[in-house]
Amino acid sequence: MSETIAFLKPRADVLARRSTIIADLADLLPPEGLVHEPRELVPFETDAFVSYRRLPLAVALPTSTAEVAAVLRYCHRYGIPVVPRGAGTSLCGGAIPQEDAVVIGLSRLSRILEIDPFNRTATVQAGVTNLAISDAVSPEGFFYAPDPSSQLACTIGGNIGMNSGGAHCLKYGVTTNNLLGVTLVLVDGTVIELGGKHLDAAGYDLLGLVCGSEGQLGIVTEATVRILAKPEGARPVLFGFETSEEAGACVADVIGSGIIPVAIEFMDKPAIEICEAFAKAGYPLDVGALLIVEVEGSEAEMDAMLSLIVEIARRHGVRTVRECQSATEAALIWKGRKSAFGATGRIADYICMDGTVPLSQLSHVLKRTGEIVAGFGLRVANVFHAGDGNMHPLILFNANDPVEAAKAETAGNEILKLCVDAGGCLTGEHGVGIEKRDLMRHQYSEADLAQQMAVRAAFDPQWLMNPSKVFPLEGRPAA
Amino acid sequence: MSAILVPVCEEEAAGMIRAAAAAGRRLAISGGNTRSGFGSPVSADAVLRSAGMSGIVAYDPAEMVMTARAGTPLAEIEETLLDNGQMLSFDPIDHRAIMGTDGEPTIGGVFATNASGPRRLSAGAARDSLLGIRFVNGRGEVIRAGGRVMKNVTGLDLVKLLAGSHGTLGFLTEVTFRVLPRPKTEQTIIVSGLDDEAAARVMAAAMGLSVEVSAAAHLPESVRGRFLGGHLPEGAATVLRLEGLAASVPVRAARLRELFGRHAPVSANENEASAHLWRQIRDVAPYADSTSRPVWRVSVAPSAGFQVVAALRLEAGIDAFYDWQGGLVWMRMEADPEPDLLRRAIAHFGGGHATLMRASAQMRTTVPAFEPLSPAVAALSARVKQQLDPAGIFNPGKMAGL
Amino acid sequence: MQTSFTAEQLVDPQVAESEKILRRCVHCGFCTATCPTYVTLGNELDSPRGRIYLIKDMLENGRPADAEVVKHIDRCLSCLSCTTTCPSGVDYMHLVDHARVHIEKTYTRPPLDRFTRALLAAILPYPARFRAALRLAGLARPLAPVFARVKALSPFAAMLQLAPKALPSASPASSGLLAEPGLRRGRVALLEGCAQPVLDPGINAATRRLLARFGVAVVSPKGEGCCGALVHHMGREADALDFARRNVDAWMAEIEGEGIDAILITASGCGTTIKDYGHMLRLDPAYAQKAARVSALARDVTEYLATLDLPRLAARGLTVAYHSACSMQHGQKITLQPKALLKAAGFAVKDPAEGHLCCGSAGTYNILQPEISAQLKQRKVRNLEATQPDVVATGNIGCITQIRTGTEIPVLHTVELLDWAYGGPKPARLPA
Repeated sequence: MSETIAFLKPRADVLARRSTIIADLADLLPPEGLVHEPRELVPFETDAFVSYRRLPLAVALPTSTAEVAAVLRYCHRYGIPVVPRGAGTSLCGGAIPQEDAVVIGLSRLSRILEIDPFNRTATVQAGVTNLAISDAVSPEGFFYAPDPSSQLACTIGGNIGMNSGGAHCLKYGVTTNNLLGVTLVLVDGTVIELGGKHLDAAGYDLLGLVCGSEGQLGIVTEATVRILAKPEGARPVLFGFETSEEAGACVADVIGSGIIPVAIEFMDKPAIEICEAFAKAGYPLDVGALLIVEVEGSEAEMDAMLSLIVEIARRHGVRTVRECQSATEAALIWKGRKSAFGATGRIADYICMDGTVPLSQLSHVLKRTGEIVAGFGLRVANVFHAGDGNMHPLILFNANDPVEAAKAETAGNEILKLCVDAGGCLTGEHGVGIEKRDLMRHQYSEADLAQQMAVRAAFDPQWLMNPSKVFPLEGRPAA
Repeated sequence: MSAILVPVCEEEAAGMIRAAAAAGRRLAISGGNTRSGFGSPVSADAVLRSAGMSGIVAYDPAEMVMTARAGTPLAEIEETLLDNGQMLSFDPIDHRAIMGTDGEPTIGGVFATNASGPRRLSAGAARDSLLGIRFVNGRGEVIRAGGRVMKNVTGLDLVKLLAGSHGTLGFLTEVTFRVLPRPKTEQTIIVSGLDDEAAARVMAAAMGLSVEVSAAAHLPESVRGRFLGGHLPEGAATVLRLEGLAASVPVRAARLRELFGRHAPVSANENEASAHLWRQIRDVAPYADSTSRPVWRVSVAPSAGFQVVAALRLEAGIDAFYDWQGGLVWMRMEADPEPDLLRRAIAHFGGGHATLMRASAQMRTTVPAFEPLSPAVAALSARVKQQLDPAGIFNPGKMAGL
Repeated sequence: MQTSFTAEQLVDPQVAESEKILRRCVHCGFCTATCPTYVTLGNELDSPRGRIYLIKDMLENGRPADAEVVKHIDRCLSCLSCTTTCPSGVDYMHLVDHARVHIEKTYTRPPLDRFTRALLAAILPYPARFRAALRLAGLARPLAPVFARVKALSPFAAMLQLAPKALPSASPASSGLLAEPGLRRGRVALLEGCAQPVLDPGINAATRRLLARFGVAVVSPKGEGCCGALVHHMGREADALDFARRNVDAWMAEIEGEGIDAILITASGCGTTIKDYGHMLRLDPAYAQKAARVSALARDVTEYLATLDLPRLAARGLTVAYHSACSMQHGQKITLQPKALLKAAGFAVKDPAEGHLCCGSAGTYNILQPEISAQLKQRKVRNLEATQPDVVATGNIGCITQIRTGTEIPVLHTVELLDWAYGGPKPARLPA
């Protein structure tokens, strides 16, 4: 497809020095720590946002903070752009490289360093996957709360880069609310510690600033996160509605009534069918929209909360209510939901939007989304975190058809603008990356953007860190 | 200080700041002036107050989000929330009693100081509730950051940066924050007679259970009498707060009583008594003693709190009690603030930070109020400040070393 | 995922099939997390997604395989953990099969590598040769450390280390036992296989006894032999298809003769391949239909046993760590039956952590990739031992051989335990 989002022009001086750079970097890394053969670079040309692709100059796979620092120090000295990469699961192209960039892959920093039940913290290297943290602390009775759908594969380093959310963030907050400290390597190779096992910052909340900075302020190599006691019980319940509007209104009423379930997930009919085909979770196929509402606590607590929710759902004409009967069933219900994006691959290519809107706008935005996509002659499946208004329309298209691909991209942009205009934002949890970079001016004024860019430049005056992402290419402050 | 500037709108504030920046006039930033004793002394030419910009701008209880101008009195906000069965989840501390200030705390001041109380342990700090801000930077430009939805990762999180920056990076004009339903019922379990270390273990054990303790504090014998009019049971009190549905709080309470009752006397306080106790803990009641004896606010790992205190006791006259599962230590020094001793102990037990909350005017000029940062972090912080307040006109000196 | 093949390229049915497979991949990356080699090496090139991309690039450009691509495809265990994980339904198995054939056709391996592979292909599928080779290995074992020091020779060191120290006597007459008179619940063909009867003839003996006890007649069709999996995974397509055709002929004779209810396989690695005969021979008009019939009748022995409704036995105080072979859980998606059978037979069954990860055996992988294989074995043994079992049970001879070299805990085939529980002799490997 023809690309509408531009990357920075590769630095000619860097490209010219390619072989020297590769030889120098190889010296800084352990055996098999540098990928540079052209054919081996191809699999690194994109992440889970496959519409855009660029080959990197080389891929470094360091095994320690010191090696990350050495590579950054070198790249900084010679003005070589750097693109950090965790598991490469970004849905906005956050880890897509560029021709003059060295990718620093954190996949080999995969050790769990310390589990501290007393202080309820886990300290892990950046390449540890999100789910591996929960698995590691599970025997002690804990879990790590933010649970992006890609939690099986995505790394904590990537989660911090994108300030990732997930289904259960309705109750537990997103990454930034569960992050206590990081080891951060700055662009010049300086290693700093932010936070720790204590709460709040001594000075400015740089930890809060780094979280969600999309690899532009430095590279996180270690993180200390809050772990929480596992709830006594958890019960996902399926609520089937005739229409998306009814389901949307029900969500707003549940939250408005003062009940905050752990999660409220929404699926429309296409999404239900896609997920059921993969997970066989027993989602009702005869409804127009489905809510997965999860409550947790003791049996009495769950019963009390559920009876209130069921009552509200009945007022909105709920057609089926199904409580899951076993842990296996609950696991399947979540497996289906969390595999929704991937499972969509069974029927079509897709791009996944991530706008967030105020709850009162949910029904309106859902309806308009359908109209926008239909206007381009495409189909859409909706599966998202309804409790916090974080929408994920999946625009289905055929990637081998350049016309359709272009339409999908345009429709996506219109949907995101719609979210902003409805009082929301471009991205709730996936990040701006390359995908939404040129829409930033729709959400922010020039002054707002300039201020963000100025702060960014305080960390990386030469704009070497993941430079083609997040901020529009024009109007960036000079070094 | 000569002038006191009280803009009534954001535009006026921006104009005043532009003028100040042009003239190189330094501004002391304040809201209700109840927390102004914070930090190191500010040397400014004028005071810029947000108190003139007041009022709730938007509030839809069903969205659990409120937007208010920075100078809105906290009391007004809490009252409005209460009317709708909601609350600020982070328990903002009222500093008046301990700092000996009067005036009306503002919502802007709450966020500018990231003022969080006991529930911070479970529900996050002020910064975690803050969704969006408008502020005027040191160039006099109005900047909007964040938004009004719960999940938003669009661009750099300047919201977090400004929260807790004590007016040194920008002048907050409007804040949008998340609110939560007020729990229907609450109960505090009191485990009596534990020493500091045993209390830390009990609190850690409680937080490791699935009963959702929302706050955990330890009030040693030396301060017990200062709470609830002396009506807490004999001995040090380790207190655990449970909140939620009427169907669940008693069940969870019974579990805690059963577990800890095997080793120590356990009692309970319900609803208003419980809420009152936590307000007193929040507002540091024992050290609201109308003196200027130094008070430190120390944040360390929960396992380190009692160790820091024990180490200091060997070398200085101190009194202390604990919040946040033992990780927040309120410490009153008998005489000298002993910053070096304290900060060495913190570093020794795994790191954290100590803020000098109260001290005599003389001490405040000599002791850095905020924890000194490592050279690399200090340099980075200074570069960040440079980008928001290039002329250094906001609260100069307050976060000395930054 | 977008692909770019020319219409001309797509005329080749193999390419057309691979294109379809590639189109399903959405590059979500879930597969990386459960891939044993990615987990071990931390390089995306050694993950399913990386390999899919390498294969895509190679096929789209119609390029011969090169050393880099070969390195990463060779490191693939074909454990198919990725296919269990993949939400999009990417048929990685047939894609990597195609890639291996493409490599074999277009790439000339270094001489020693060629020699090793030719040797394995010439020996392993043939029981007599394999038995003779193992005797030689016994003599050469002292050389293992010498080989291990030279990287290019490490496969030979691995072979010597894997060879059992004592070889069981040749399998008893394969005519086997007949069903108890008066009770005839079924008639099945039992694959004798190639390496298994040499390494552990007790497995099929136990299977025969067990089946006989429950009234199932077992036949061993003439002419049947190696299933072809070993050479199939080396990309030796023609050899693999020859093995497949020979077996199809053998079984068709039975199917069309007296008739059989199932073709039972006691090594899940073989089962995965036999169940794929229909696909492997789909382009051979003479065999396509017959192969599909064979595949439809192929069952893992535990799948078949689960249909017999064996009686529940009292608990016997023995803890079994069940190791699900990759070919069992990922290749054939059989996860519940073996454990249910063991539980019904009175064993306490434990699932080890990271049960989805391969033990590193993977056909000839432990010989061809000894370093990675050793790391995986260590990890597997650690997880198995953590359950503190009395015995490890699994359904694949490759895993049995591999895990035995890493632990003192006895490792048995699931049917050996079942046979014992239902009246057979106590397996010799269990302590008295």
